[in-house]
Amino acid sequence: MTPTTRLAASPTEATVGADLMAATAVGLTKIYGSGATRVVALDHVDVGFHAQRLTAIMGPSGSGKSTLLHCMAGLDTVTEGDVRIGETQISQLSDKELTLLRRQRLGFIFQAFNLVPTLTAEENILLPLRLGGREPDQDWERRVVGSLELDDRLRHRPSELSGGQQQRVAVARALVTRPDIIFADEPTGNLDSKAGNEVLGFLRRAVDDWNQTVVMVTHDPGAASYADVVIFLRDGQLVGHLDDPTASDVYGRIRDLEE
Amino acid sequence: MREILRLTFRNLAASKLRFLLTSFAVLMGVSFVVSSFVLTDGLSKTFDAIVEDSNSGLDAQVRADVEFEEVSFVDLPIDEELVDAVAAVDGVDVAEPGFQSMKIIPLDADGDPVKTAGSPILSFNWSDPDISGLVLVEGAPPRSAGQFAMDVDSADRHGFVVGETYDIVGNTGPQPFQMVGLTKFGEDNAVAGAVLMSFTLDDVQRLSGLDGKIHWIDVAGADVDTETLVSRLNSALPADVETVSSDVVVAEEKDDFGGMLDIFGNILLGFALVAVFVSTFIIGNTFNILTGQRVRQLALIRALGASRGQVRLSSTLEALIIGVVASILGLIGGVLLALGLRSLMNAMGFGLPAFDIVITARTVVAALVVGIGVTLVASITPARRAATVPPVAAMRPGFRFGSGEGTRRTIIASVLAVFGVIGVALGLFGDLDGTPLTLLTLGGGAVLVFVSVAMFAPLFSSPSASLLGLPLEHLPWSRTTGHMARENAASNNKRTASTAAGLMIGLALIGMATVVASSLKSSFRDQMGSTLTAEYLVNHPNDENFSEELVANVAGLPEFGEVSGVRFGSIRIGGDTKEVTSTNFTELLDLLDVGVIAGDPASAADPTSILIHEDVANDRSLEVGDELTVEFAATGDQTLTVGAIYENAFIIGNYALDDSGWEANFDTTDINVVAANVAPDIDPETAAAALSTIEASYPQLEFETNDEFRKRMEGQLDSLLVIINVFLALAIIIALLGIANTMALSVLERTQEIGLMRAIGMTRRQTRSMIRLEAAIVALFGALLGLLVGLIFGWVATTAIPSSIISTVDIPWVTLGIYAVVATIAGLLAASLPARRAARLNVLDAIATT
Repeated sequence: MTPTTRLAASPTEATVGADLMAATAVGLTKIYGSGATRVVALDHVDVGFHAQRLTAIMGPSGSGKSTLLHCMAGLDTVTEGDVRIGETQISQLSDKELTLLRRQRLGFIFQAFNLVPTLTAEENILLPLRLGGREPDQDWERRVVGSLELDDRLRHRPSELSGGQQQRVAVARALVTRPDIIFADEPTGNLDSKAGNEVLGFLRRAVDDWNQTVVMVTHDPGAASYADVVIFLRDGQLVGHLDDPTASDVYGRIRDLEE
Repeated sequence: MREILRLTFRNLAASKLRFLLTSFAVLMGVSFVVSSFVLTDGLSKTFDAIVEDSNSGLDAQVRADVEFEEVSFVDLPIDEELVDAVAAVDGVDVAEPGFQSMKIIPLDADGDPVKTAGSPILSFNWSDPDISGLVLVEGAPPRSAGQFAMDVDSADRHGFVVGETYDIVGNTGPQPFQMVGLTKFGEDNAVAGAVLMSFTLDDVQRLSGLDGKIHWIDVAGADVDTETLVSRLNSALPADVETVSSDVVVAEEKDDFGGMLDIFGNILLGFALVAVFVSTFIIGNTFNILTGQRVRQLALIRALGASRGQVRLSSTLEALIIGVVASILGLIGGVLLALGLRSLMNAMGFGLPAFDIVITARTVVAALVVGIGVTLVASITPARRAATVPPVAAMRPGFRFGSGEGTRRTIIASVLAVFGVIGVALGLFGDLDGTPLTLLTLGGGAVLVFVSVAMFAPLFSSPSASLLGLPLEHLPWSRTTGHMARENAASNNKRTASTAAGLMIGLALIGMATVVASSLKSSFRDQMGSTLTAEYLVNHPNDENFSEELVANVAGLPEFGEVSGVRFGSIRIGGDTKEVTSTNFTELLDLLDVGVIAGDPASAADPTSILIHEDVANDRSLEVGDELTVEFAATGDQTLTVGAIYENAFIIGNYALDDSGWEANFDTTDINVVAANVAPDIDPETAAAALSTIEASYPQLEFETNDEFRKRMEGQLDSLLVIINVFLALAIIIALLGIANTMALSVLERTQEIGLMRAIGMTRRQTRSMIRLEAAIVALFGALLGLLVGLIFGWVATTAIPSSIISTVDIPWVTLGIYAVVATIAGLLAASLPARRAARLNVLDAIATT
């Protein structure tokens, strides 16, 4: 029995209703170190991420927001708790199974160093597919590349692209596999506001037009304003959320948290 | 300055793993060099002590007065009666006759002749241990006829037991002797695998067919100083005999050992230098990678105000520290390696004595020079590159080292190539004075050629790696990983090239050796095939000579036709020592087709004729009928007439005498080879059966058909090639370590990239595969380049070697192909550890940007 049959099949646009949870965590706890150096990064966090929505995770530095993202995405192990992507319990999976999960059902965008320097933009976009020995649906690929305005950049290497273009390539890569969830860790952190807004616009469109689910960590209230819901963390605990946020609402909430 | 030092030390401390990996490569090279010195120094000291110890009771020695350097007094026996004359001289206390033979072979309990791994089988007459150095360990010494003693280690190794009877084969066929005792030479019986046997003087004379003869007389004096004793003996004894003091004897024996040790030590040193050369590439590569990894840090300190000179200084200092540490560790490593080598050689049957660890000033200096020298040389380019990092690279990502030095590099490489080729050509074809100078020029030229090839390599390493990696992308199981591996190998042309360079050198040398050996074998086969028409050959595996009675024995068999014995000896022409052979001129052409150009050997079958090779005829402008003055050890100058000129020197050499000519001018009649033809109309089985009756009397000799002889000779060549390849394999191992090293550092450099790929779905196995395949591509590139260079070198070498030794060039394509495949697989395996580490990278740590 291959790992692919054990995991839930990749949901298509038609089968996932807007009310389903794309990912959930119950009692999620992450502790680093022991004894004098013990750090509780996440403290019994219960959270759910709705499908077909853009969720932002925010909090002051040291709040555990990145850790939460990493644990949800199967990039890090949990100390305690139940983490699921769809119906799949990921805390029990082996490294190989986690890797396949990431390849087939998740998409990633990082703050920096998103692309393999020796591959062209197109090769970077198709990398997760090819690692699985698959080739893309040509139409879908063209659509994604087209809407991200990368048609004339496909043959370029990352060093020949601007920061914004590199992030767009990362977004294309995340979209081309039609994942259950796209996890973005400070995707606009290294970009100027114009480029950043472009990327956020694409993420927004991915959710609205293509029914993707995006979970994004950010420290920027402006970025958070693109989200459908913002959840707030402080000292490893979930301390609140905001629906349909505006930038100033978010800014106010953050300031309160930091006091 | 202090700041630079602080920075340097911090850099070293921060990456201890890299520090260690780099030091290790230097360490290996230094250890190798040190071990060759430690081994030879230690053994030299031990052998000197053995020599002095064994000669401690000796005051003087009487032996034949020899003129030729090629001839030893052991080849010119003296009369036994001289012992009385010596004993009668005033002041002589003890006069012991000494006899030595290398041709007496014992048969073991199974009746097989004792075989050593090349060490001699020596037989002596038993004499006073204080003078001979051979002491009794167990049992009794041989005191009456039919008794013998053997050294304890040989007895052990070949299964000889005191009290048992064994057959001993001498000139006159096997005879039973009883073993009565065990002996040893010196404290450890350190005779490097030789077999020592002792008999009574009468027995050993009889076994050698030299009744009434001895080889030397050991003299101990009483109440007289050595000088006086020597002069008294010299005046008392005839002119063809000389007396020398024990100092001279000791000096000669030390020289003999020293000579052998020198050769051994030089060979070891040669291989060590190859290893050092290979490690230089690896270290240079490592430094380059390290510099690449430190770009941001270098840019930062430049931005903060460090000058280019300071940056260069820091890099150089770092290299210096690594060099010093590696040199010191290399000294220790070298000692351990020397001890290990000794154990290895003892395990192979070469009994080397225990030796003190002698670390001379020369060894320490060599270690420092090699260690520091190699590291500094390797750091020149990286240090310069480090200094070119501009401050702005700290703020702007994606800084690449300029390849503007490309043209400069090409020019330097071309110049080196030209000098290298000149050096090699001079060494091979020029007439240089003396072997050391020739080897130096040859070696130096070869080094320059290698360096220039390595410098040219980056020009084509990318397309080559790309081409070599292409098949991987079409294999279903490695499409993506193969693609990544190919991209990585092709993307950094300098790194691929310098990693491959190490392997290139090793494979070039192996390739060259293989081509030369293969050509040698082919030429040998051709020459033998065309020249040696004799159907049977008899000779001694250790090239010892044996009684000429064998010729008469075989000739007496009705199943055999023409039979001739061939002898090897030395003559002097115009002061130069040359090799001469003798055969039966009347039967010569039936047994050896020497390719007569002028004259007729059969009509020159007299004592005053000589046959010469066409090279000699050309050099000395001689024709048939001309006269040639030849000096013999026993009979002095003789005028000989050229009887014929021939073109094939196989077996017969450049100068040949008839049997009668030999008998007239040499004291011994023993022969080295017997060539015989089967009589017409006799089938092979009958001939073989007839021969076996004679074989029984000469168990130490090989009786072979033409084919069997050829196969045995080729086997010897193959064995030699194996030994050479084993030594070169060590250089290959260093190169493979270099590949592992580079891959490890490359993984470190690409941590983020690997982490990213793991995050988006590359499994651990795919990661390992990617790293390994990249190493395989690089290894294959290095191997192919090396084999190409080796092929060219080999071809050039075969052209340089005289056509009498190598007449055809044979390129063993299949063998070379196998080398390439093995090298690729080795590269794949070498990257296993770095591949595993890459796969185990913690994904989060890897992609962290802070």
